[in-house]
Amino acid sequence: MRGNALAAGLVALAVLFVIVAVLYAFGVLQIAVSDPSSHHHYTHAILFTGLAVASLVAANFARQKKTT
Amino acid sequence: MTLAQALFMGLLQGATELFPVSSLGHAVVIPSLLHWSFKQSDPSFVPFLTLLHLGTAGALLFIYRSQWVAIVRGFFTAAFRGRISTEPERLSMLLLVGTIPAGILGVFLEHQFKVLFATPRVAAAFLVVNGVLMLGFEFLRRRAEGRAAVAEKTRIEQEESFGDAEHISFRAAALVGACQALALVPGISRSGVTIGGGLLAGLRHQEAARFSFLLATPIIAAAGLIEVPQLFTGGVPIPEYTAGAVLAAVAAYLSARFLLRYFRSGRLDPYGIYCIAAGVVSFALLTLGA
Repeated sequence: MRGNALAAGLVALAVLFVIVAVLYAFGVLQIAVSDPSSHHHYTHAILFTGLAVASLVAANFARQKKTT
Repeated sequence: MTLAQALFMGLLQGATELFPVSSLGHAVVIPSLLHWSFKQSDPSFVPFLTLLHLGTAGALLFIYRSQWVAIVRGFFTAAFRGRISTEPERLSMLLLVGTIPAGILGVFLEHQFKVLFATPRVAAAFLVVNGVLMLGFEFLRRRAEGRAAVAEKTRIEQEESFGDAEHISFRAAALVGACQALALVPGISRSGVTIGGGLLAGLRHQEAARFSFLLATPIIAAAGLIEVPQLFTGGVPIPEYTAGAVLAAVAAYLSARFLLRYFRSGRLDPYGIYCIAAGVVSFALLTLGA
């Protein structure tokens, strides 16, 4: 059960990362960017997309597996 | 930038990217010492560095092409299965864990670090720091060899008592990855600190170099690919830049081959001594205005 709770938390984190990635891609988020005048921050968006993927992978590792 | 300058910078970047001597430090210091007029802050310099990075990444991908096929396959297999069963699967997850801290720190800190440190004299000073780090890594390694009671053995036998990249812990992989962020400071070598980190994690020199090169490939390739659109802005001399990139790829290929052979029994010491000497001489010349 503990593994499934951790997996759920990691999925929630992945969703959060996707939202942040979209906000950076459309220039809504301007935190810690080198060029605030730019309308898109694709480097940050790619980073957060990568973090979302890593979180989903970690969630899959954390979830309880069915024993056969 | 003339064709000769582009070729020289390509050769310099390709060779120093993988040698533990800081490519960024050399790219900042040497043009200044040669009184070349182009500036690192020039908008057309970013596309040039982009192409050089793509050349280096291409060379690394070519050298490790069969390993990368196994790593990518292993990543998807392990990610979907949720379990690690084979060595390529474990290596793929170690590389993922190692890439995350470098990616986060690189994206958020690169600009600030460049603004603060990308001046020739600061880069020369950090070359000295890099040399001290290399000697420090080897000092710690010799102590580990003493504890493992292999000091009396031959270098090859000493190396055999240490481990493979596939067997380091995930915490060690994250630490080695985080070490890459130090290389945002011009003068600190990415390959140097990651090889040193690998040595501290108990890897053989050759395996530490392999892990460093594998860890570098996604970061270098991503940094290059992100900047590709800038190549198509007006005024970028594509033929000259491409020639530099091809030379960077050839230099990186030869450097990697040499280093993997060298690290069968070689140490970081010569590179540490070189960095200290080069840093001191460059700092003196830049200060004296030579």
